Amino acid sequence: MQSLDVISVNIWQMAASLANLVLLFLIVKKFLYKPVKNMLNERRSAIDNDYKDAADAKEKAVSDMKAYEEKLSGAADEASAILKGAVDVAKSREKEIIDGANEKARGIIKRAEADALLEKQKAREDIKREIVEVSTLLSEKMLGREISADDHRDLIDSFIEGIGNGDEAN
Amino acid sequence: MKEKDLRFKIVDILLVLMMTVPIILGIVLQVMTEPPASGVQITGARIFFTIPMPLQDFPVTESQVNSLIVMIVLLGFCLYITHGLSEKADLKRQHLAEFIVEKVDSLVKENMGDFFASFTPFIISILALSALSSLLSLFGLYPPTSDINIVGGWAVLVFVLITYYKLKAGPLAYMKSFTQPVALLTPINIISEVATPVSMAFRHYGNVLSGAVISVLLGTALGGLSSMILGKLPGFLADIPLFQVGIPAVLSIYFDVFSGCLQAFIFAMLTMMYVAGGFPEEEYKKKKSQKASKIKKIN
Repeated sequence: MQSLDVISVNIWQMAASLANLVLLFLIVKKFLYKPVKNMLNERRSAIDNDYKDAADAKEKAVSDMKAYEEKLSGAADEASAILKGAVDVAKSREKEIIDGANEKARGIIKRAEADALLEKQKAREDIKREIVEVSTLLSEKMLGREISADDHRDLIDSFIEGIGNGDEAN
Repeated sequence: MKEKDLRFKIVDILLVLMMTVPIILGIVLQVMTEPPASGVQITGARIFFTIPMPLQDFPVTESQVNSLIVMIVLLGFCLYITHGLSEKADLKRQHLAEFIVEKVDSLVKENMGDFFASFTPFIISILALSALSSLLSLFGLYPPTSDINIVGGWAVLVFVLITYYKLKAGPLAYMKSFTQPVALLTPINIISEVATPVSMAFRHYGNVLSGAVISVLLGTALGGLSSMILGKLPGFLADIPLFQVGIPAVLSIYFDVFSGCLQAFIFAMLTMMYVAGGFPEEEYKKKKSQKASKIKKIN
């Protein structure tokens, strides 16, 4: 079998090896470089998405927490407002009740006083009448004679009237 | 699910076979066709057959066949490490694929800039082709990189790329770049331009070939030494290859493994340097902005 010399330039061999290199370049590009690069890009975008999701979730958590805190402080305010309102209502109610009670008591006292006055007058009338009867009876008995009832009655009445008025004046 | 696993495994096995069978076939071919060695013989690649072509005949040599073997193996390798590629990196081989792509990507960006980011697959293929071609000598096959034509073809491609990127700023700027820094240096500039691919080809080819030559010389010398010392002994004792055991293996680590990988790296580095160095970035940008403003004016 023949051999080439150690140094023998052959353009067709060169062309063949050049074509080989170009072919290998295409092979490497298609079967190694592109798939790996695509995979790396996909991985990068997936990681970016994960990071974005995490950031979004964190932001949401922070805003939620803020909202809760706001709500919480609002709730305390509300509670104190409710309490204050209740106290106010209770106070006004208390005053109302006390006022009402006072008024009632005053009314009762007034009525009682009026009743008492009425009773007093009534009693006075009764006493007056009784005295008239008693004095009529007494005078009948003492005089022993029937005096004309009408005359006597007028007399006694004027007398009693005088007593009553004098009494009242006293 | 199980059927899918089975199919996956079958494809895996086929790809592994794709990576190993061509090398085994190459070794078989080598064993079947190699003439018995006699004495010190340093020749080029053996010719299997010749295709008549215009200008020059095209001899299909060992280097062509072995290049083909390397290409098939690399295709199998690419398919194997990207097989079952996923975002979650389920397979260990995916780390290798990512490592290769990302390392070469960063190397390219570091040496050539972002404009040449698309050079990564080309640099990967140069590195892989050159390194694996040189490493074929570990299997006892003829390394295609010790053939000037193979490395010369790559250098010509690199030269074409250099010129292409130099022409990006326009043919006038390209012509002008030869007269820099003074017009007197024009012939020297032209010579240095042409010398670039030649020096690249000869550097790579020379390193690999010299390793092979030194290996052959050393093997012969060690054989001579053992026969000189043990030759006087009777019978089969005279034929014991005392010094041929072990010593060539240590040298092979340097000349085949280290030198082969180093030359691949140097070739790739020089490619990056020359292509990026020859590219007149500022003038290209100026021209581009001019073009853009022209288009704006027309619109």
